[in-house]
Amino acid sequence: MKGLRLLPLLCLLLAAGPADAQGGKPVGTLRGVFISDPPTLDPAQATDTTSSAVVRQLFDTLVELDEQLQPGPGLAERWTVSSDQRVYTFVLRAGVKFHNGRVMGAADVKFSFERAARGKRPWVFEKIVGAPAFIKGGAGEIPGVRVVDERTVELTLAKPFAPFLHLMAYDAASIVPREEAQRLGPGFASHPVGTGAFRLKEWRRDDRVVLEAFAEHFRGAPHLERVVFRIIPAEITRFNDYKAGNLDVTDIPTGHCRAVKADPALRAQVAIWPTLGTHAVRFNVEKPPFNDRRMRLAVAHAIDPSAIVQGLLEGCVIAGRGILPPTLPGYHTGVTAPGLDRARARQLLAEAGFPGGRGLSPITYHFNTSDLNQRIAELLQAQLREVGITLELRRLDWAAHLKVVDEGAVTMFRQAWIADYPDPENFLTVLFHSRNIGAAGNTSRYRSPELDRLFDQADVMPPGPARFKVYQDAEQRLLDDGAWITLYHYASRALIRPAVKGLERSPLSTAPEFLAPLRKVRIE
Amino acid sequence: MLADLLEPAAKRVLALLPVLLGVSLLVFALTAVGLGDPARAMLGQRADPELVQQIRRDYALDRPVHVRYATWMSRLVRGDLGTSYHQQRPVAEIIAERLPATARLALAATVVAVVGGLAAGVAAALRPGRLLDQVLMSAAVLGISTPVFWLGMMLSLLFAVWLGWLPVSGYGDGDWANLVLPALTLGAIHTGTIARMARSNLLEVIRQEYIQTARAKGLAEWLVISKHALRNALIPVVTVIGIGIADLLVGAPLTETVFAWPGLGRMLVAAVGQRDLPVVMGAVLVFAVIYVLANLLVDLAYLLIDPRIRRDR
Repeated sequence: MKGLRLLPLLCLLLAAGPADAQGGKPVGTLRGVFISDPPTLDPAQATDTTSSAVVRQLFDTLVELDEQLQPGPGLAERWTVSSDQRVYTFVLRAGVKFHNGRVMGAADVKFSFERAARGKRPWVFEKIVGAPAFIKGGAGEIPGVRVVDERTVELTLAKPFAPFLHLMAYDAASIVPREEAQRLGPGFASHPVGTGAFRLKEWRRDDRVVLEAFAEHFRGAPHLERVVFRIIPAEITRFNDYKAGNLDVTDIPTGHCRAVKADPALRAQVAIWPTLGTHAVRFNVEKPPFNDRRMRLAVAHAIDPSAIVQGLLEGCVIAGRGILPPTLPGYHTGVTAPGLDRARARQLLAEAGFPGGRGLSPITYHFNTSDLNQRIAELLQAQLREVGITLELRRLDWAAHLKVVDEGAVTMFRQAWIADYPDPENFLTVLFHSRNIGAAGNTSRYRSPELDRLFDQADVMPPGPARFKVYQDAEQRLLDDGAWITLYHYASRALIRPAVKGLERSPLSTAPEFLAPLRKVRIE
Repeated sequence: MLADLLEPAAKRVLALLPVLLGVSLLVFALTAVGLGDPARAMLGQRADPELVQQIRRDYALDRPVHVRYATWMSRLVRGDLGTSYHQQRPVAEIIAERLPATARLALAATVVAVVGGLAAGVAAALRPGRLLDQVLMSAAVLGISTPVFWLGMMLSLLFAVWLGWLPVSGYGDGDWANLVLPALTLGAIHTGTIARMARSNLLEVIRQEYIQTARAKGLAEWLVISKHALRNALIPVVTVIGIGIADLLVGAPLTETVFAWPGLGRMLVAAVGQRDLPVVMGAVLVFAVIYVLANLLVDLAYLLIDPRIRRDR
C-alpha cells in the first residue's frame, strides 16, 4: 500500500458545506405504509426493500445519492480517490452523534464494514483488499479498511471498481455503533441505533413501525416529528385506507391505474415515475431448445410487449426492449432488440428444425406466484401459440421459483431485476458474467469469454462515457443473441397527498416503500 | 361432578401427545420434500452461493432431515421452539406477540357467530316455512358461501370508506372499533352454519312428546323453548361451536390480510413463503394444541349440558 501514490491526482474533492440544518422544531406526522413487516432493521442483515426503507431513515452512509443518482457527501464531508483509482480516503464530518449520544468516528466505519461483510450482502464489500478472505472467515480483519485517524478512513480496493462510491451509498454500508451492536447481538435488528435523522420509537410486528425525529442529527432536526409506517399486506386495503384519509402516501393497486388517473378526486395526487427495474423473459441457454440462438430469437420476435404495457398495465409502466432501464446512467437509446415479427419468428423456428412448431415439445414457462405474472404468462402463451410454440405454465411461490431457477432446472422463465445501485454493472455484469452463474445472478447460465472480458474491462475503467460505451456494446450483443427479452421497465405508481412536500421520486425509490430520505419531507 | 370431568380431561390431554408428535413429523416431512431453500430465501434475489452454503451449515440445514428433526424435538422437550431464521428471535416470543390479537379476533368472531347464529336459528325454527324463516336461512347460506376476502372488502368499503363509521384496517391501540369489521367478516361463515344447525335441531326437538307435555302443562312458550327445547337442541350445536372456535383461531389468514390484523394466520403464511421452518413448526404445533384443546372443551361441554352422557360413560 505504501507503494501507492496516495496523492489524490484524481480528486473528487467535494466540499460538503455546513450541515444543512432543517431549522425549527419538528412537526407533523407522515403516515406511510409497507406491504410486509420488515424482517430486520439491522443494515447488515437486510435483503429486502421494506427493511431498507426503514434502515435508510435510522442510519447514514459515508456517501449519499441525490435525486439524480449522483454521489454526494453523507457522513463523509469529503473524499479523495488515488490516481490508480484503488484508494478512497474519506474524511468524516466532525461531531456526528449516534442516537445513544456518542460521537461517531473512523473506527465505527471499520467496525461497521467488517460486521456487514459477514452479513447478508457481503458483495458490497468484496472489492476491498482482503475482504474475500475475511468474508470466508479466513482473516480476522479487512486490511483494506484502514483507520488513519479519528476522522479519516482509507479504503483500498484490490482493483479499480468504477461504481464503488455507489456501493458506499448503499444501506448495507450504514455506520453502526460498535458498543450497541456488540451489546445487543441479534437484538440489534429489533433495537437499532444509528446516526439517522429518525430513531426507532415503536415496532409492533405486522402492525406498525414508528420513527421519531432525532433532533441532534448532523444536518439538524428533520421537519417531521414522527413517521408511522402501517403494515398493510392487501393493496386494495392500502388504497381504501388512503381514500379514507388514513395514509399520506400509498401505491396504486394493480389494474386501478387508469381509473385513478381519471378520478377527479385523486388524479392530482397521482405520481408515476420510472424506476430502475426491468421485467423480462429469460432462457436457460444450456438446455435445448434454447441452447439454439434461433429458438431464442424466434420467441423474441413472437412476443408483443405492447399488449402487456398498454393492456394489462394500462400504460403505467415504461415500454422498452433494451436490458437497461431508461433512467439508468449508461442507458443508450440506440440499442435495438428483436421486435414483433411473426413471419421472422416462423422462419427462425423452421431453421431451427421445427417448421410450424412441428416436432417441438411443449415448453414450460416458470414464473413466481402473482396475479399479474399469471396474466402475463397467459398472454405470452397466446402470443407464442400463433407461431406454433406451445407454452405450459408453471407457477411456484417465490422461494420455490428461486430454487428451480438458480439450479438451472428451468428452460424459460420470468425474471425481474431491480438495480441495487445505479450502474450498468449492476445489471449486465451481475446478470451475464460467467462467474455469476446461478444464484449470483446469471440464471441464464450464459457464458461468453468475450463478454466477460468486456465486463472486466468496464469494471476498471474510470466513470464516464467511454465506460458506458463498453456496456452498450455488451448489451447489444446480448440482445442480438436473444439472451433476454424485456417486456417492460418498471415505474413506481403512487398516490401522494398534496400536503406532503419534499418526498423525492428517485429512480431507486418504489412506492409504497419510498427509499427516499424522509428528513427532507414536511407536511404543510 | 368434578371427578366426572377430570378423568376424560386427563385422557384427552394424554391423547394430545401422539397427535402433536404426528403433526410435527408430518410438517417436518413436508419441509423435506417441499421446494425451496430457507438459506436461499433469506438472501433475496442476488445471493452469494458460498454464503448460501455457510448459512445452510450455520442452521444445520445441510444435515439429514431425521437428524434435524431429532434436534428440534430435543429442544422442544426442553420448552424451546427454536429461533426464527428471518427475525433472529425466539419463535415462542414471535408467537406470543401474535396470539393475543388472534385470540381477540377469534373470540369476537365466536360471539358474533354464536349470538347471531342462535338468534337466527331459533327465530327461523319458531316460524318454519314463513317469510322470516326463508329470509334468515337464505342469509345463512349467503354467509356460508360468501368468500371471506370479498365480504371483508365490501364491509370495509361500506362502513369505513363510504360511511366513515369504522377504521378500514389495523389493530389500532386495541380499540373495539378496529375489531368490529374483522369479527363480522370472520364470524359470518359460522353464523350461517350455527343458524342452520340450530334451526334444524330445534325443529326436531319441538316435535318430541315431552315438549307437547310441557305445553299441555300450560307453560309459557318462551319457557318451553328456552328451558326444555333449546337445551337438548344445543348439544350438536356445541360441536359446531367448539370446532368453529378452533377454525377461527387458525383459519383467519384471509381476514387478517384484508384488515391488516397482526395475527398468527398471517404470520404463518409469511413464514411458509420465507421457508422460516422454526416459525412454521412452532405455529403449526400451537394450532394443533388449539384444535385438540377445543375438542376437549367440546367433550366437557357435552358432560355439562347432558347428564345422560355422564351416566352412560
